[in-house]
Amino acid sequence: MKGASIPTVESSEKWEVQLRKGSLELAILAALWDGRLYGLEILRELENKSDLIVVEGTVYPLLNRLRALTLVESEWVESDSGHPRKYYRLTPAGRKRALEMTRIWVRFSARMNNLLAHLNKEARPVPKGRKDTA
Amino acid sequence: MILSAESQKAIDTYLTDLRGQLRPLRPEDANDIVEEIHAHILDKSAGVTAEGVVSATLAALGTPDELAARYRIDELLKRAQSTRSPVVSLFSLARWATLSLIGLVTFIISSVGYALGAVLVVIGLFKLIYPRNGGVWFDPKPGGHGIDGTAGFSFVGGGTWTHPGHEVFGLWLAPSCLALGALLVFLTFSLGTWCIRRFWRPSALREV
Repeated sequence: MKGASIPTVESSEKWEVQLRKGSLELAILAALWDGRLYGLEILRELENKSDLIVVEGTVYPLLNRLRALTLVESEWVESDSGHPRKYYRLTPAGRKRALEMTRIWVRFSARMNNLLAHLNKEARPVPKGRKDTA
Repeated sequence: MILSAESQKAIDTYLTDLRGQLRPLRPEDANDIVEEIHAHILDKSAGVTAEGVVSATLAALGTPDELAARYRIDELLKRAQSTRSPVVSLFSLARWATLSLIGLVTFIISSVGYALGAVLVVIGLFKLIYPRNGGVWFDPKPGGHGIDGTAGFSFVGGGTWTHPGHEVFGLWLAPSCLALGALLVFLTFSLGTWCIRRFWRPSALREV
């Protein structure tokens, strides 16, 4: 078909990147839900508890931005490691925003899961030794 | 934790470059950022003796220029949201215009708005200073009823000159132009600030 573009792995990756971008702010707010963390702890929390692999040079400017939006607040705290660390914690506005975003996320993902339920069976990887009849 | 001289030098060079790139920011903000990045590098290197860890950490942060750029543009637009100065606002919009289409459109509209506002203010001031020499004139065609005539602002030097046409607004031109110009500048400023608040996404979110 002339002029038609064929979906490629590359376009799927771009879409996935967009999806991750959209969820990063919520992920950071969620990581801070239980208490204060410093930058590296936030990065490790995101790596351990989510599929988000955040570039280190990205998270600090974003934290700075969230602070400017008064969603988080920061303070320098002396540590045993010999240097002070900058800890972040959610402000009341940040907690409110995290809850709002979570509500939207849960509602949206539930509906999407419902829509994608039958595709999910098709999209599962075919086990080795079994021929795909499609 | 003991860092090798080579690693320590690499960290010092990185932080010095970063501080230099953050010069447009307020010194206390720049200092805060540099200290935080320094703490991050030390935390990442803690308990690890491998030489490559420091260079890998610095590479993960991006070059000082790249890292500073993420802070700079965010700071600039943050300042634009709280400033009362059209100059700061327009300067920030010019930076934004280089990053996105919506930024470019906002910058063009704002430039036109500010330019028109400035022209109106200048006309108003001219009329105040030279009430007889500047004004909006309507010059009907000979024999016509004035509908197809020409109108426009003109300014001519000299003390006794009189325009052949009919002056439309008279002295009201000065306060009208000053008020309209100020209103246009205010509306343009408000539009620019609103667009930044509504459409600006922090650079960190764009580059994940």
